Amino acid sequence: MSAIVDLVLGVVTSIGGFVEVGSISTSAQSGAEYGFQLLWAIAIAAAMLALLTEMSGRLSVMSKRALAAAVRERFGIHFQVVPLAAELVLDLLLLTAELGGAGIAVKLLTGIGFQWTIVPLAVMVWAILWFSSFAVVEHGIGLLGLVTLSFVLAAWRLGPDAGDLARSFVPSLPAHDGVRYAFLAISIVGATVSPYLLNFYSSGTIEEEMKREDLWVNTATTYGGNMFGALVAMGVLVTSAMVLQPLHIQVDSYEQAALMFVPAFGRWAVTLFALSLGIGCIGAALEISLNTGYLLAQVFGWSWSANKRRDENARFSTAFTVILIAATGIAVLGFDPLRLTMISVALTVVVMPVMVLPFLVLMNDRKFVKDRTNTPIGNAILAGLTLVGALFALIVIPLEVFGG
Amino acid sequence: MHLVRDLLDKAVIDRNGREMGRADRVVLEVGRGSPPRVAAIEVGASALGQRLGPGWGRWAAALLHGFGVDHGQPLRIHVSQILGVTDTIAVDLAFGQTPAANVECKLRRIIRVLPGADR
Repeated sequence: MSAIVDLVLGVVTSIGGFVEVGSISTSAQSGAEYGFQLLWAIAIAAAMLALLTEMSGRLSVMSKRALAAAVRERFGIHFQVVPLAAELVLDLLLLTAELGGAGIAVKLLTGIGFQWTIVPLAVMVWAILWFSSFAVVEHGIGLLGLVTLSFVLAAWRLGPDAGDLARSFVPSLPAHDGVRYAFLAISIVGATVSPYLLNFYSSGTIEEEMKREDLWVNTATTYGGNMFGALVAMGVLVTSAMVLQPLHIQVDSYEQAALMFVPAFGRWAVTLFALSLGIGCIGAALEISLNTGYLLAQVFGWSWSANKRRDENARFSTAFTVILIAATGIAVLGFDPLRLTMISVALTVVVMPVMVLPFLVLMNDRKFVKDRTNTPIGNAILAGLTLVGALFALIVIPLEVFGG
Repeated sequence: MHLVRDLLDKAVIDRNGREMGRADRVVLEVGRGSPPRVAAIEVGASALGQRLGPGWGRWAAALLHGFGVDHGQPLRIHVSQILGVTDTIAVDLAFGQTPAANVECKLRRIIRVLPGADR
């Protein structure tokens, strides 16, 4: 019975926690500029995320180690310094973007400039982390995040053509601006498969003391939660495509993105959009901050747990506090949250091979996963998609940036 | 025993099961006419930094010195203090009584000023 409750809670909170600043902005821009045409990218990204999170849970259950700890032991510090540095930089950029996104959400609700609300929001995130257990961080915010289902509801109310939607799951070439199209496809993958999610999920499996006999819960939660969660990101894209594209509105800011809710929800449009964006961003900010604590503690061998007293894990508690302060400082300086988001998610795809490929090696090492190694097909799919994605990103990002 | 696979970078646990850090460096003893043997393991950022490069080692040592960690030197655990090597390296020490705990203890004193730190 407990396993069933864990499964339902896991799937529901995964749906609620699926979208955040990156997936909302990339899906909204894709819909506004290319209609339904990039739905396939969301489907591929969600499948990749489902495979990777299932693996990270399986690794923790079988090896009793979180992902970062296993990488340190298997590959040593000389190798790990590269993915560690990359993940810390990405975590900082993404956390800044999430705080900015939450600030924009408050601005939409109250009219107060987002830079004025960044510090109170960061204090709120820190307070939740400081006073709560892991379960509150993961499940509490995930349940609140169910408000993001309003994107699915909006898309359903607008009545998209089922045939058009189905055809969009097959990759096709765009009628205009191929570089931008490829950049958005890469960004969707980067926004969905955020590196912090893998170590966070792996650490969470240890926090929740999942056992080998519960591996089926891990599999069902990761596949079910991510595939249903992807429907929310698809809801953003479809709503944006049906509302913003006919009006030739490009999403240059979150305020413009909020317009996509007007035909479906009328006077509630801005409130619902702001709540979806705000809760999604706060949930992601909590996870990224906590993940930085997990990451550093596991690499350097400090004691860690969100379920223990904060003073018993002083270095872990300090680590998540410091990254939050650093991200708040950058956010207050006034970076455009949307631009920062797009840079972070695109860079994610470039560095993905140094994170995913060693992970695949671990998942085939019986010292760590015993008899639960990956299948050759799973290895091939993930390695292929990761390398192709990184190659595309290396070509497309300079073209997009220098081409304006 | 394979030094790199079985010892280096493994988690080091004290006699109470508390994490002390990782085996950041292995110290070998080379005697005349005899094969090298493991003399100790070292735990600490300065040992880890030395592995990455002398500059990193000096920087880490200076940082730790600032925190009052035994002049920035790593904690050297003699091989006779190693209780066993499994998934972790268990050692016959109490983390809180070693200089390696200085950073943790200093941060703990700061953290305890904040409300909710002992929840």
